[in-house]
Amino acid sequence: MAKTTYYVPIGPIHPALKEPIRVEAEVEGEKIVKVDVKRGFAHRGIEYMGMKRNAIQTLYLSERICGICSISHPYAFVIGSEKALGIEAPPRAQYIRSIIAELERIHSHILWLGVIAHEIGFDSLLFWTWKGREKVLDILEAITGNRINYSMYMIGGVRRDLKESHIRALKDMITYYWEFTEHMKEVFLSDPVYEARTRGVARVPKDVALKLNLVGPVARAAGLRMDIRQDIPYDAYADIDVKAVVPQDIVGEARGDAYDVTMVRIYEIEQSLDIIEYCIDNLPEGRILTIPNYIALLNKIKKTEGEGIGAHEAPRGEVIHYFRYDGTRDGPAVWKVIAPSYNNINSWAYCLLGAEVADIPVVVGYIDPCMCCNDRIAVVKDSTGKMLDYSYIHKKAIEKTRMLEKELGVRR
Amino acid sequence: MTLTAEEIFDRLKEELGDAILNYELKEYKMGVKKPRTYKEVWMEIDKSAFRRAIEAIFKIDYPHLHFITGEDIGEAIRMIYSFGLFHEHPWGEVSIVIKFDLPKNELILPTITDLMMGAETNEREIREMLGVEFDGLKNKRHLFLPDDWPEGKYPWRKDEYGVDDMIKHTHKSVKEIRKERGEQSG
Repeated sequence: MAKTTYYVPIGPIHPALKEPIRVEAEVEGEKIVKVDVKRGFAHRGIEYMGMKRNAIQTLYLSERICGICSISHPYAFVIGSEKALGIEAPPRAQYIRSIIAELERIHSHILWLGVIAHEIGFDSLLFWTWKGREKVLDILEAITGNRINYSMYMIGGVRRDLKESHIRALKDMITYYWEFTEHMKEVFLSDPVYEARTRGVARVPKDVALKLNLVGPVARAAGLRMDIRQDIPYDAYADIDVKAVVPQDIVGEARGDAYDVTMVRIYEIEQSLDIIEYCIDNLPEGRILTIPNYIALLNKIKKTEGEGIGAHEAPRGEVIHYFRYDGTRDGPAVWKVIAPSYNNINSWAYCLLGAEVADIPVVVGYIDPCMCCNDRIAVVKDSTGKMLDYSYIHKKAIEKTRMLEKELGVRR
Repeated sequence: MTLTAEEIFDRLKEELGDAILNYELKEYKMGVKKPRTYKEVWMEIDKSAFRRAIEAIFKIDYPHLHFITGEDIGEAIRMIYSFGLFHEHPWGEVSIVIKFDLPKNELILPTITDLMMGAETNEREIREMLGVEFDGLKNKRHLFLPDDWPEGKYPWRKDEYGVDDMIKHTHKSVKEIRKERGEQSG
């Protein structure tokens, strides 16, 4: 008898995947009849490493869990730590934290929009969106000194203050992105080809999303009004009354497919702009750190026994950190990290069953997967074959920051 | 309609009774201009009441599972389950944390995947990292560890079932290595 099904292994290393994960599909013609997802190809045991270090070192380590949303994990970390230790951040620091988190949401969502355009073959759209993303990365660099891994948050506050010039640059940025999102709505949501490729693909109904424990834009696209900024508000969000962005509020109906996820993400960029605007208009005065001396902070941690859960609504969904400080060490005794993709990958097997082979990249891409554990070793050589070492790259990075500060009229 | 942390705790108290060994309603202040408080329920229960506690939570509202984690505390494994109830309501979500100790000679728990499919990932992780068996869990393959990981070695365990010999080796300092070789340190 002729064989009717074929086995299609995708990954762990595959051009369509940015990070290592394996999707094993069994296909019958074009239809997928059986799926298996294997993960853990880049598991680095970060939680174990964190339990061997002091809390401030672990905070920086948590920033390196994810390569793109590098503020999400520190945010959950500082909130959880503050709850466990009974520290409160000063009002100004709370507002600055929320501004940085929203800037990050803008850049992460635009990045995703580029990625999904690339997955379905619109590379010019990828370049256009990523060009637009540079503006927010420039602002982040001007404020924090880095394009990624900002080292901005600290238990009980932030490490850098916002200057008048930063606020001016932020206002410019807000005007720029209001225009940019209008364009994005046109090119993504009104494009017939984009709609044809994403409508009905990766469809998750509301009840299934609830049972699969999905989080973030993926759950909201399915119609679940869940958003940590709304359900358990913290920092500046507690003053703003954030409302979860769901498709039923925008078009009257939630279908939970890749098209709805796109819509949710674009409208969330607008929401972020509103939040940033509120924060800079109402930025409280005062100090930015509760315990400015890090030795004193570590000493306090060493003497405090307590546990706490920190939750932050990252661009991809909720990030949860659980802590226990045992009062004998200056680091966490237990540290558990839940990243959004941990839950959202559950939806792949559901969405891929019965889908077509060509939809695999869209299904894989629509949750914005982040294995949270990429190895980051790169050897860079210039055209003469000379190795570009750390000091050279660092020098270049500082030069770029100074150039940007000049361009944006920002003074440090 | 949402319930407050106290009301939720009262309901759980009704269902579980004496099985609640210890509890705390933790209160936090959030917000700058409009400060409000919100509460979390932290409970320590008897392990025999675990399934009843989960069912009681599901009876109140379909929860959102935050995480399942565990800690090796010597003679037992302390399991920590965290759920969010009323997660679709502004300021309404109440976190419930359930903790209990599992003695190391009977590391077995009923699964909750029959109530919530999405818990499978969490249970598989705990199973491979701490060696806790879940009764009724269908997919028992490794989640993060490689398929050829040695049997009976659990990375989060701190006893003889952990991977301490390997870790000790990788974390040996230069000083220790020199001492072993009989060289003069410094």
